[in-house]
Amino acid sequence: MKDYFFQDSVGKPMDRVDGRQKVTGAAKYSAEYELPNMTHAVLVGSIIAKGRIKSMDTKKAENAPGVLAVLYHQNAPKVPGYVQAAHPSEPKPVGQPLRAFYDDKVYFNGQPVAVVVADTLERAMYAAHLVKVTYEEEKHATDFTKNVSKAFLPTAAQRNPKHPLNDYVRGKKDAYKTADIKIEQEYVIPTEVHNPMELQSIVAHWEANDKLTVYDKTQAVIGTQNAFAKDWDIPVENVKVIATFVGGAFGNGLHTWPHETAAIMAAKKVNRPVKLVLTREQMFTMVGYRPHAWQKVGMSATPDGKITAITHEAIGQTSSYEEFTESTLQQTRMMYTSPNVTTRYRILPLDVSTPIWMRGPGEATGAFALESALDEMAHVIGMDPLEFRMRNHTDRDPEKDLPWSTKYLKEAMQMGAERIGWSKRPNIPGTLKNGEWLVGYGMGVGTFGANRGRAKVRAVLHDDGTVVLQCATTDIGPGTGTAMVQIAAQNLGLAPEKIIFELGSSLYPPSPSQGGSATVASVGSAVHAACKALQQRLATLVADNDAGFKGATADKLTFDNGYLSLAATPAARVSFADVLKRQKLKEIEVTEESKPGDERTKYSMYSYSVHFAEVHVHPLTGQIKVAKIVSCADAGTIVNTKTAGNQMIGGAVGGIGMALTEGTVMDHRFGRYVTKDLAEYHVPVHADAPAIDVFFVNKPDLINNPNGTKGIGEIAIIGVAPAIANAVFNATGKRIRELPITPDKLI
Amino acid sequence: MAVEKDLPHTCSQGEKGQCPNEARRDFLKYSSILTAFAFMPNMAVKAADLKLEEKLVSAFEKVNVTLNINGKKRKLSIEPRTTLLDLLREQLNLTGTKKGCDYGQCGACTVHVDGQRVLSCLSLAAMQDGKKITTIEGLADGHELHPMQAAFIKHDGFQCGYCTPGQIMSAVACIREGHADSDDEIREYMSGNICRCGAYPNIVNAIKEVKNGGQKV
Amino acid sequence: MNQFQYVQPAKSKAAIDTVTKDQTAMFIAGGTNLLDLMKRGIVTPEKLVDINKLPLKKIQKENGAVRIGALALNGETAEDKLVLEKHPLLSQALNAGASAQLRNMATVGGNMLQRTRCPYFYDTALPCNKREPGTGCGALEGYNRMHAIFGHSEKCIAVHPSDMSVALAALDATVLVSGPKGDRKIPFADFHRLPGDTPHIETNLQKGELILAVDLPENPYTKNIHYLKIRDRASYAFALISVAAALDLDGSNIRSARLAMGGVAHKPWRLTEAENFLAGKPATETTFRQAADLAMRGAKAFEHNKFKLKLGPNAIVQALKNAAGVA
Repeated sequence: MKDYFFQDSVGKPMDRVDGRQKVTGAAKYSAEYELPNMTHAVLVGSIIAKGRIKSMDTKKAENAPGVLAVLYHQNAPKVPGYVQAAHPSEPKPVGQPLRAFYDDKVYFNGQPVAVVVADTLERAMYAAHLVKVTYEEEKHATDFTKNVSKAFLPTAAQRNPKHPLNDYVRGKKDAYKTADIKIEQEYVIPTEVHNPMELQSIVAHWEANDKLTVYDKTQAVIGTQNAFAKDWDIPVENVKVIATFVGGAFGNGLHTWPHETAAIMAAKKVNRPVKLVLTREQMFTMVGYRPHAWQKVGMSATPDGKITAITHEAIGQTSSYEEFTESTLQQTRMMYTSPNVTTRYRILPLDVSTPIWMRGPGEATGAFALESALDEMAHVIGMDPLEFRMRNHTDRDPEKDLPWSTKYLKEAMQMGAERIGWSKRPNIPGTLKNGEWLVGYGMGVGTFGANRGRAKVRAVLHDDGTVVLQCATTDIGPGTGTAMVQIAAQNLGLAPEKIIFELGSSLYPPSPSQGGSATVASVGSAVHAACKALQQRLATLVADNDAGFKGATADKLTFDNGYLSLAATPAARVSFADVLKRQKLKEIEVTEESKPGDERTKYSMYSYSVHFAEVHVHPLTGQIKVAKIVSCADAGTIVNTKTAGNQMIGGAVGGIGMALTEGTVMDHRFGRYVTKDLAEYHVPVHADAPAIDVFFVNKPDLINNPNGTKGIGEIAIIGVAPAIANAVFNATGKRIRELPITPDKLI
Repeated sequence: MAVEKDLPHTCSQGEKGQCPNEARRDFLKYSSILTAFAFMPNMAVKAADLKLEEKLVSAFEKVNVTLNINGKKRKLSIEPRTTLLDLLREQLNLTGTKKGCDYGQCGACTVHVDGQRVLSCLSLAAMQDGKKITTIEGLADGHELHPMQAAFIKHDGFQCGYCTPGQIMSAVACIREGHADSDDEIREYMSGNICRCGAYPNIVNAIKEVKNGGQKV
Repeated sequence: MNQFQYVQPAKSKAAIDTVTKDQTAMFIAGGTNLLDLMKRGIVTPEKLVDINKLPLKKIQKENGAVRIGALALNGETAEDKLVLEKHPLLSQALNAGASAQLRNMATVGGNMLQRTRCPYFYDTALPCNKREPGTGCGALEGYNRMHAIFGHSEKCIAVHPSDMSVALAALDATVLVSGPKGDRKIPFADFHRLPGDTPHIETNLQKGELILAVDLPENPYTKNIHYLKIRDRASYAFALISVAAALDLDGSNIRSARLAMGGVAHKPWRLTEAENFLAGKPATETTFRQAADLAMRGAKAFEHNKFKLKLGPNAIVQALKNAAGVA
């Protein structure tokens, strides 16, 4: 059988299969499903950070026109799963996700304490203002710096010495401390908020007492289905989750949140479908965020640029009721040759809501510190930071002591340096000018595990020659459906126009949640398997029934453009459609599962990126313009250079936000955010985004999966912020170690 | 609820099955009572406190407007507080116009009113009486995409697609206004439309192509 | 949003009468700030008087001045030929504000009346004397990075967010208003108030008074002008500091100057002393720096906005350099 993979469809910059729906407004996001008798729910948030609800006066709200119900901890329908989770016979979990209207406890400012349901949105919004809550306030702790001494090793690591979040020592512990040439610096990133453009929303509908349908903004269709089935103690198959279009998420759809349960409760109570859309302000407290983090990096090197030791410590914020952790220190453990590496990760519980992975999660946080520190050390020893990284490149994973599956980071670095014009970078910071503006160049490297999970895909070939594939994955924006059509086209030998990939429904075969840059590797492998299985079925059909193909097996056949033929006798050629029609078959169907094997015990697998930035800084006003970004990725086979390029661009823009504009501020007297809308929390706008050039090494990693792909969603942003911070240093001589780098920090 | 009144003799969606006109007559009977609260704070609540009938309060508060939406004339009876955005999304099922913030801070709700790009989240529907409103659903000519829609597909000017209708409505206006003469000008005049996926450079390319192609927008 | 009555009078008198008599009535024009405030329950008018039918949209010459109708939109005003020719500084300031969509909605009159963007004002769960007199100023000892360095009081340290108004202050505008007691003219410097003990009263408009127009007198500031806005992102953000600078140059000497700052006070902050200093001096960076230092006299910062004490004068210098073309 011919392997089609590196020709034809895959690798082409195909237009998105759902592009037309997105540009015409036809694409339906979760709050846009209209059901008969729809009602609208609006959440009321707490205005204290810690304490108890003393009383709840809902009379005014209940009496307001159109109001159908006001639910809170004393009158909300009981969620059976909430009770189960607290059963004493179960092992104590590491924390407990916030339960909607469970009791009178307030854990953070902005916690949902009531939900108002009304017949129109206007009425629900207004009545939500009428709910009066009185609280018994307790002293809260929200200030990271003041409470930092309370940080601890995550419980999961305490319980299991092999847990990767445990302290890590390679070589000698904290070896940098005794070296001649060393740096030791602290780095801080503020709380950042995902803020996808679509507000988190859900339409909840009890079709029967034990049958629930939700149109929900989620990155985890199956995870959500299981969670609600457990919560409501109903069979999994009785829960239908629809997430056909997801208006961005960047990680905040990887958890189920109280607002979802609030809507489901409300639907139960009023016995009508309920639509609940968070406000933008609620997006800051109810659906996670990238946690505030403090980091310290100590590093030593030889005068000729060999890193001799790195110690990297990180403390990340979490809530008082859940232990959120992320892989902040992973890149430090495996990226550079250093014989001595120490990492220590701690979490700090505060009276705030629980964070959740935000694009490039902990790695982006960690890379800011590590890649800034590298730049600092290069400056100390007077070496070009590109050269410094080249000298510490490693061809084998020093952490796991395994070979890489593939790694072309050096090529990516060379490619990027050329494209940005790295040779223009001044060796002495603050010496290059363009008119009044100081000019600087910086770089940062990113890496993320090339993950792959278990996924299942159904493929149906119809007698008109079209194929429909189905999987419960979502498409939060990367173009999953498009990439899957291309992979299917490639592996079936069929034009992409004849293939439909359906996603975003729990009625389809399961996939992992769409996170951790693993969708193409996981679902793409299942598509590959399903297509090969379909070809097998076709081969069997012709071999059994068609004289011209007697005895043919799939590997002897050529599948091309919807036809199969025998390489030896080209005259024997028949369309897929005719194969079915001749047997009077309407369709043939296969469902295939694909999962990783033991390759992960033999190889270490990562995607890599390197980002180069040119920035201009105005010395008087501190204004910063990112003039250009070049991002290069070594991420295996690129299925669609157009959508993948776009994803890389998006990561770079996200990195600009991380570096220069984003961060939310809390007034710790109240434990309440004071920058919590899109006017105060600055997401980059058009004018912040320069030309961004993206290049792919585009070499397959066939050890990872049969399509040779690796993820790019995370590496698109990991390393961008330090590239910009390093460029700012190169332009101005000012090293900013606390993000975001706003104009006031540069004057 | 908006009450469509294209058909004068039917009244399918009136409050509690009652025709708005009947409700209005009911209201007239009670108008003297209502006048008494006119200067009291939060009148609607007071009405609720006094257990006045809901329909009566609604009738009092509704206004009639005629909007031309995507070429179709719609006579509607709406609450004055209803924004154009919520009217489109929640009552007319025109969900192409998006809610991203509800406070005029993101541009997702951009529509054209009498040919000008505006934010529908900060526009009261009642204040649009007699105006011509174009949403993303009204941009294409039948099956034929508007050149800007086609250019967004070609240049992949979006990822998740949620800000896209607003970006496209804004992009069309940007060219019409004469603010698409350079990359920097496009960036500045498109800055009211946030794309969290970060597809900005592709959006700029799409706008440039349409502008340079000289197609009618 | 609370329920309210909606009326759209055709005559100014009717509009003024309604708002004068009805304590809970408010004018609405563009609505870009008012609706925002109503959605958050910060203002709760029970009657909205839509003034968009009033004939207050024109931009025309009037006794040598340029008269801009209160209902002229920010966007069309910025691109108006007369404004571009006579008062390009105003055009630049308008274009530095908000977004193209908002500029297509917001009116000149409404822009002047927009409320502060102080986060304590916008959050009904937090103290704010401006929103609820007597509750205290949340920003004073809270998060005050965006806040005032001039003219603040213990009751309020908020800033006025308008860019347009900074240019109007520099350009000696006069506000024409009509009210229950007839018409009057308010010099722009007297239009907005400092917070003092009554931060909830932001302008000297009386109940029921309606802005009809703004007059900009003829001036020589048509060429050497610059509106510089420093903000946390490249566009669509409120100013950390902004400077409206206008110079009348005789070769390389300054005949006269106009200067005002935004993002530093409860009202657009005119820098008269610096203007007087600049008159007759050479247009050099040294002069500009001296003027900037003068302008900053009396500035007092808080925990998070100390940078404004440095960014302020730097921005003045840079705006003057740009205006003079010596950048």
